[in-house]
Amino acid sequence: MSLKSIFMGLALGLAASVSYGQYNTLHIPDTLSGTTFNLNMRDSFVQFRTGNQTITAGINGAFWGPTLFFNKGDSVHMNVRNYLNDTTTLHWHGFHLPAVMDGGPHQTIPPGAIWRPYWKVTNNASTYWYHPHLHMSTEKQLIEGLGGFIIVRDAAEAALALPRTYGIDDIPLALTSRSFDASNAFTSTSAYGDYMVVNGTMNPQVSLPKQYVRLRILNAEMERGYNLGFSDNRTFYVIGNDGGLLDAPVPVTRVKLLVGERIEILVNLTGDAVGSSIDLKAYNAGFPLGWPGGEPGTTGPFGSLLNNINFNILHINVAAATTGAITALPSSLVSNTYLTAGDATVTRTLNVTDGTPGRPFYFDHANFDLATINHTLQLNTVEKWTVVNNNVFGHSFHIHDIQFKIISRSSGPVNAYESGWKDSYYLGINETVSFVAKFDDYADDIHPFMYHCHMAPHEDGGLMGQFVVRDATGVNNTIKDPADFKVYPNPANDRIYFSFNDPTMQAYYVTITNAVGRTLYMLPRPHLADGIDISKFAQGNYFVQLTDEATKKVITKHFIKQ
Amino acid sequence: MMKQGIVNRLLIAAAIVPAIFLLSFAAISVREVKDFSLKNVDGAMVSLKDYPNAKGFIIVFTCNHCPFAQLYYKRLNELNAKYAAKGVPLLAISSTDTINYEDDSFEKMVLKAKREQLNFPYLYDNTQQVAKDFHAQKTPHAYVIWKVDGKWVVKYSGAIDDNGAHAELANNHYVAAAIDELLAEKEVSIKDTKSIGCQISFRK
Ligand SMILES: [Cu+2]
Repeated sequence: MSLKSIFMGLALGLAASVSYGQYNTLHIPDTLSGTTFNLNMRDSFVQFRTGNQTITAGINGAFWGPTLFFNKGDSVHMNVRNYLNDTTTLHWHGFHLPAVMDGGPHQTIPPGAIWRPYWKVTNNASTYWYHPHLHMSTEKQLIEGLGGFIIVRDAAEAALALPRTYGIDDIPLALTSRSFDASNAFTSTSAYGDYMVVNGTMNPQVSLPKQYVRLRILNAEMERGYNLGFSDNRTFYVIGNDGGLLDAPVPVTRVKLLVGERIEILVNLTGDAVGSSIDLKAYNAGFPLGWPGGEPGTTGPFGSLLNNINFNILHINVAAATTGAITALPSSLVSNTYLTAGDATVTRTLNVTDGTPGRPFYFDHANFDLATINHTLQLNTVEKWTVVNNNVFGHSFHIHDIQFKIISRSSGPVNAYESGWKDSYYLGINETVSFVAKFDDYADDIHPFMYHCHMAPHEDGGLMGQFVVRDATGVNNTIKDPADFKVYPNPANDRIYFSFNDPTMQAYYVTITNAVGRTLYMLPRPHLADGIDISKFAQGNYFVQLTDEATKKVITKHFIKQ
Repeated sequence: MMKQGIVNRLLIAAAIVPAIFLLSFAAISVREVKDFSLKNVDGAMVSLKDYPNAKGFIIVFTCNHCPFAQLYYKRLNELNAKYAAKGVPLLAISSTDTINYEDDSFEKMVLKAKREQLNFPYLYDNTQQVAKDFHAQKTPHAYVIWKVDGKWVVKYSGAIDDNGAHAELANNHYVAAAIDELLAEKEVSIKDTKSIGCQISFRK
């Protein structure tokens, strides 16, 4: 599918989305698979309502981005090009990877630059996502539409009789909402949108076959929580959490999904008549203050037409079964070995503080500071983190780098539907939640990982902290000559190559800028053996800034492109 | 370098937010603007004073790369064809930060003007100073300025019309309506709308 056809599809699909009760066909994001992924972030526009178009931003399209398919064990290489009129970042939410590849607030991509992170996929089969994470601009860039799904496949998942035909019986649903001003521009006056938007479609409907279908649901909101259920109160089955499949399906009739969380569910449509319909709904009526979206008002900074009501998310029309339909619920899924509280050798406690009316929330009274490392962890340590929210509002706690296991909730037992691998969870008002996780594989003294509330206004407001994972055994105290390198040939035509004065020297980061200071390439831990392609560069002077892995010293060299 | 970069970015980020905030609330209904001298795609320098008989101008901040701005080139040609003859020529200005946006370089402006057969000057605001003087925020962002007692006064600021992708569905042709009223020596009834398009990011 070309970029243009994706955009036209969106524009046409959304064109008629005005009169209430008239459904639009759910947009299923285009897919990309393989091991190299080209993601172009651009300003765009979409016909959301009658009248003028809404200015948006998309990845390889006009709103939201393609669904990326990864295979566990593959090394994936991302070419992220920022064509936006703003600096941005792109974070791989839920992935275990080196901090310098993580796409958090430190891995900023200036306009015009290409950022090339890569990593080996070690995550379990599940539903992940990618989104911008530029500090104090996250809400703005999410509202514009930047983000997308990542679906990881692995052998354990592939061995199960589960629906997995993307767009047919395996449907990604990114739940969010938007408000518009009189010119149809998105507004962020309130933390909550007035109109439901699923995969970029307002008031969506989808045809699903008369069999077991799998919904991969992401809360891609700014702040609202969803208490999910079906209009006939049917039982459905949670099969996976943020970071993988559960041991066995968990039957539920309602499930809470907070910002950043994903859940995979199976819905049994085998008993539904072809031509009948049901609605996936948010049962958000009656929640007390503190539940995000429970506020009673429709106007003001926390007002929304969807506040404290039950509302439709997706209208489902039941169609004929497909060949190879899944018609039974698996009794078991995968066999997980979870960490327990007893495995933890280090404990930490975070408190949600401040947040008095009109003031942002902080962790332990400290506003987020990009230059402050709040916690230093030792590589390969199992830690127990306890987050205390004796405060006025609920939050959605998220941590980068790892998948954890929730071990306790002060409000009662941990829900069976959130008993798997998690990277985000609901931290209710006056609640304390503990989890355990192992911080392994990736140590880096410079680039930190984040922990934060995933509600974008809270995160942008400073409810975020950062930690580094340190490898105490890896410290190299050997005295060496100062690191240095040469770029050759110079002048160059096609590629530049690197020669190091010490053959053990490695590049931690390489950036290439032109004579006027525009950043062209940002290359974390690049493989330099084959050089770097500069054949498309304009003639002129360029600078290579190389950060030495061992010393983190920056060395700048000049070269000429002929 | 990383630590320092981190601190710098924090400072920059802290500085940007209030700046955007101020711009978006800038009062622009009654305001005088200065003449300027900018290079046109034909290489000549262009100023307002080069048009001694002009009653007013349509000044449109636009650029090459923004998809919403691209929707309007044809309409800009039509506006200029209609109103230049009545003493209100159109001048388009690109103020994008060309260090970051290669597509908006002067060379590519020249190509764009040829390809779109622009019938009006397309000026390169290399320093972004003219955009700052006008408080231009988006591409496209249109102004109607009028000569009052020898000075150039902003009579309209905002969108060109109210439908970017479907010109035929636009209900309000703000720029044309403002000029028609001014030519009829009437007060402009809609003086200010929100400009819609890509943010002009100002170089620090
Ligand atoms: Cu929060």
